Amino acid sequence: MSSTSTETKATRRDNAEVVEALGRSYAAGFVTDIETDYLPPGLSEDIVRQLSALKREPSWMTEWRLGAYRHWLTMPKPDWAKLKIDPIDYQAISYYAAPKAKPKSLAEVDPALLETYEKLGIPLHERAALAGVAVDAVFDSVSVGTTFRKQLAEAGVLFCSMSEAIREYPELVQKYLGSVVPTGDNFFAALNSAVFSDGSFVFIPKGVRCPMELSTYFRINAQNTGQFERTLIVAEEGSHVSYLEGCTAPKRDENQLHAAVVELVALEKAQIKYSTVQNWYPGDENGVGGIYNFVTKRGDCRGDDSKISWTQVETGSAITWKYPSVILRGDRSVGEFHSVALTHHFQQADTGTKMIHLGKDTKSKIVAKGISAGRSSNSYRGLVKMGKGAEGARNYTQCDSLLIGKRCGAHTFPYMEVKNPSAIVEHEATTSKISDDQMFYCRSRGIREEDAVSMIVDGFCKQVFKELPMEFAVEAKKLLEVSLEGAVG
Amino acid sequence: MNQPASLPLVASLLDAPLPASGVAWLDTVRRENRESFAAGGLPDTRVEAWKYTPLRALGQRQFASGDAAAGVRVVDPSTLALPGVDGPRLVFVNGVFRADLSALDRLPAGLTLQPLSQALEGDAQPLRFALSRHYREVGDAFARINAASAVDGVVLRVAAGTQLDVPVQLVFVGAAAEADLAWHARNVIELGEGAGLTLIEQHTANGELAHLATLVSDIEVREGARLRHVVLQGAAIGASLIRRSSLRLHARTRASLHVLELGGALVRHDIQAELTGDDARLDTRGVFMPHGRQHIDTQLAIRHQALNTVSSSNWRGVANDRARGVFRGAIVVAPGADGSDASLSNKNLLLSPGAEIDTKPELEIYADEVKAAHGATVGQLDERALFYLRSRGIALAQARALLTAAFCRAMLDDLPNEALREHLAALLIAHLPA
Amino acid sequence: MLKIENLHARVEGREILKGLSLSVSAGEVHAIMGPNGAGKSTLGNVLSGRDGYEVTAGTVTYNGIDLLSLAPEARAAAGVFLAFQYPVEIPGVNNTYFLRAALNAQRKVRGESELDSMQFLKLVREKLKVMQISDELLHRAVNAGFSGGEKKRNEIFQMAVLQPQLAILDETDSGLDIDALKQVAQGVNALRSPERSFLMITHYQRLLDYVVPDFVHVLADGRIVESGDKSLALKLEEHGYVGIGESYPAGATA
Repeated sequence: MSSTSTETKATRRDNAEVVEALGRSYAAGFVTDIETDYLPPGLSEDIVRQLSALKREPSWMTEWRLGAYRHWLTMPKPDWAKLKIDPIDYQAISYYAAPKAKPKSLAEVDPALLETYEKLGIPLHERAALAGVAVDAVFDSVSVGTTFRKQLAEAGVLFCSMSEAIREYPELVQKYLGSVVPTGDNFFAALNSAVFSDGSFVFIPKGVRCPMELSTYFRINAQNTGQFERTLIVAEEGSHVSYLEGCTAPKRDENQLHAAVVELVALEKAQIKYSTVQNWYPGDENGVGGIYNFVTKRGDCRGDDSKISWTQVETGSAITWKYPSVILRGDRSVGEFHSVALTHHFQQADTGTKMIHLGKDTKSKIVAKGISAGRSSNSYRGLVKMGKGAEGARNYTQCDSLLIGKRCGAHTFPYMEVKNPSAIVEHEATTSKISDDQMFYCRSRGIREEDAVSMIVDGFCKQVFKELPMEFAVEAKKLLEVSLEGAVG
Repeated sequence: MNQPASLPLVASLLDAPLPASGVAWLDTVRRENRESFAAGGLPDTRVEAWKYTPLRALGQRQFASGDAAAGVRVVDPSTLALPGVDGPRLVFVNGVFRADLSALDRLPAGLTLQPLSQALEGDAQPLRFALSRHYREVGDAFARINAASAVDGVVLRVAAGTQLDVPVQLVFVGAAAEADLAWHARNVIELGEGAGLTLIEQHTANGELAHLATLVSDIEVREGARLRHVVLQGAAIGASLIRRSSLRLHARTRASLHVLELGGALVRHDIQAELTGDDARLDTRGVFMPHGRQHIDTQLAIRHQALNTVSSSNWRGVANDRARGVFRGAIVVAPGADGSDASLSNKNLLLSPGAEIDTKPELEIYADEVKAAHGATVGQLDERALFYLRSRGIALAQARALLTAAFCRAMLDDLPNEALREHLAALLIAHLPA
Repeated sequence: MLKIENLHARVEGREILKGLSLSVSAGEVHAIMGPNGAGKSTLGNVLSGRDGYEVTAGTVTYNGIDLLSLAPEARAAAGVFLAFQYPVEIPGVNNTYFLRAALNAQRKVRGESELDSMQFLKLVREKLKVMQISDELLHRAVNAGFSGGEKKRNEIFQMAVLQPQLAILDETDSGLDIDALKQVAQGVNALRSPERSFLMITHYQRLLDYVVPDFVHVLADGRIVESGDKSLALKLEEHGYVGIGESYPAGATA
């Protein structure tokens, strides 16, 4: 594979430069020309069977999918509270697309694919790869390779594609898959359960601190397909893991559907940190094209003293609809949600979290920052629920919205349901714009208007960015700048 | 889904004949609303506005329509008196106007105050706008049945430029009867340009009862007018009371609303305020204190539609025993409503393991030259304050009572009528758990 | 260096400056004094290009260029600095980061090379010493949670780093106790040089005890009504603003 390795002298700094080179508009919008296997568009029991067969799945998995599919058929389509959306034709989507060549290892991966990930700043070759970050790269429906597997295996950490996990670790998958997000949980979770193609599987055994950051990079390439990945992370007693996820897609005029399910299980004293930088293609400045990003993410603090924290930076997608949640089942378990959602042009984001407090002395903290520009619409929707048994539970929620321009909307819809008299729930929200005084102050020190906006927005998001691992924080900041291009003036 | 007409409640409310007014447009409005109520039935909890207020139990009940004996039921007029309130008074018993209990002699100049039933006998045209509303959502079920069935209520007008220096009192008495009754009242209230009015709306009980009452009030506040509206809800502990108050505030108006929700079994109050004129200002304050098995739901929606409009809302809830308090406070700043300043706070105390509070502040902002903020809390009394009082020798129970009273009372602080304020405060304290 | 001629300016439709003229040469320190509402802060804001200040007549020439035609950031790059009376808070934006971004933006416009973080840090450490500002201030967000005195000192510190040619100090002394005032004055004095000019806008004479001006002007009702040396400030201290300028015909300048 010398043809590619000559170009892969990437370092962390290169990564930042690649991102910078993404330039002023959506530079991840290129298409990789590669031979692709498709299933024909449409959804039926037959398609579900074919998909399962293509992936050489055991029969229990096929049955699991069929069960989900049958349930999905009975479910009403979601009622879009605040979203403007054309009806989705589920029969027009192809539920499986994968590069024709099936590599056995990273060394056999098609150079065109490696190049794709390099362009995105995610070199997959281990000697070039990001130091301290193991990457699973998912291209359309399948995983094309996972880095640092050997080092991880030595620590006892399982990190592989979901397809592989179903074949290699069926007992673990059977035990945990669908245990946090049941197949019939909601319309898109049911759809995902029926047709999910790939995703990442992580298992951290008891007492292990994962030696490096784990990360999955999702890329939609093929046309008229949906991406339905499934991620499952299980952290056994006392283990720790930090996981990152990034996503991009080519520019296309049609809307493409992305309906993922992510399940996290934290057993006693385990900690899972899950970070997302979501930069799916947002559509153009007239609202044409873009990804429909309908995602179910949920963590289950199953054991006492466990902790799950979600951090997300959402700048992409035409429509985002996701509420990463934590079920605080174990006593003294902790849930966190840190979010920056930026919308511009005609983007719509409806995102937030659910913190379901069941155990005693459970704690949750929510920090959500929304930035709306152009004609976009940005909503925070969240639920904090204190069950009867949530003795001494605490929640603190802070939602801040920043409006840039007169034609956008910023909304806040928090739900608080409290059934325990010793629980405390606090919610605060503000809406503001960048003040003229702040702008003038920056400009009078010599800073250009556009840079001043970036700077103030970055400051507005600081509380969330500091939760991200370093590499991602840099990328997130640049993404905001790029996404805000043309928002002022 | 519900089979609307088959629900016992829906069937029983539709059992009564459609009232005939002799006014063609009104008969049409009533018929249409009745039809939409029959078709839509009751909302279930999947309807967002009713998420926390299930109507399953109510839907299974049946009510007799109207009270033929309302005109002769014995009500002690002294039970209607309020300190600091001594002016014109309009009283309804089970939805029927009672001249004998009302005080309509010597009305001040510029004030029109009469029952709707009388107003409709004269020129109905001025009421047409307010009475011609259509309710499009299934969540509006009770407004629909009210629009179809209400034959009485209040018509109140204050002429332009008239400043009334005495408060006007509206009293809705639920009186014990031979059966569970359903009654409806429709109120049309208008303040002319530059007018000023203090309005006391009172809901009281005469004996034990489990009636269903619906009230719909349309309140129009014209340019530069000032309205001070105080609501004291002390309905019977078994009553179901469902109200909707729609306010429209024109330019440079000042309106304040103070609400005390104390009585009722199932209580719902929708407050919908539109700030349609520049520089309009609305202040709302409220306390809801459900105990026992009461369910009290307040749905406040404020829409800023004009320049430099201001709203400030401050609501407190205290839920005890197995009661449930529900609050929604939604603020919308419409496109172009620059200079708007909206704030909302809802703080709640949950006093018992069987009680529940569901609160949902909302901001929906479509303009950028805006100041908007909301906050909500559910919790307990401040431990430090409790400790402070105890360290000064006050027993725990008393310290709790003191702090809880202070927590609620603060909502009355900006009520200028001192006698009324002290009376309401005393009611709040009497309502606290012993 | 700076020449203001017959400057008229309006704020929200109201005329505040009514024919102000003033000339400042390199290296000079001018104090502008005057009662509240005379137009002192308006002058600072007009010179630095704040929105909402409409110049209806007159000219401002700075080093031969028309200052009023420049955007605020261009004025900064050209060497004009305004120390704000009420510096705004910018939550989340690190003070050091902000200052480096400002300095490099200015240097870029002037065609100078940008400073890397090591060079910048060195510069900042030097200036910190002069200003007696603690390191800790650097790590906080711009002005966020600063006391009144800290905000003012931060302004002077920024001036020390940005090295302007013309510094306008808008009531930098207001709200300071005597120790903070001395520190601020010390900072200003350290920056005095033959190339740098100062316009100190103040209500009180006390700042001038520590930063001795070359000229003192009295601004009243939108015009300079009297000019002199330091002794004029002392006279004002003694007699107040009452009566000042009354013996002068409208529009008279020094």
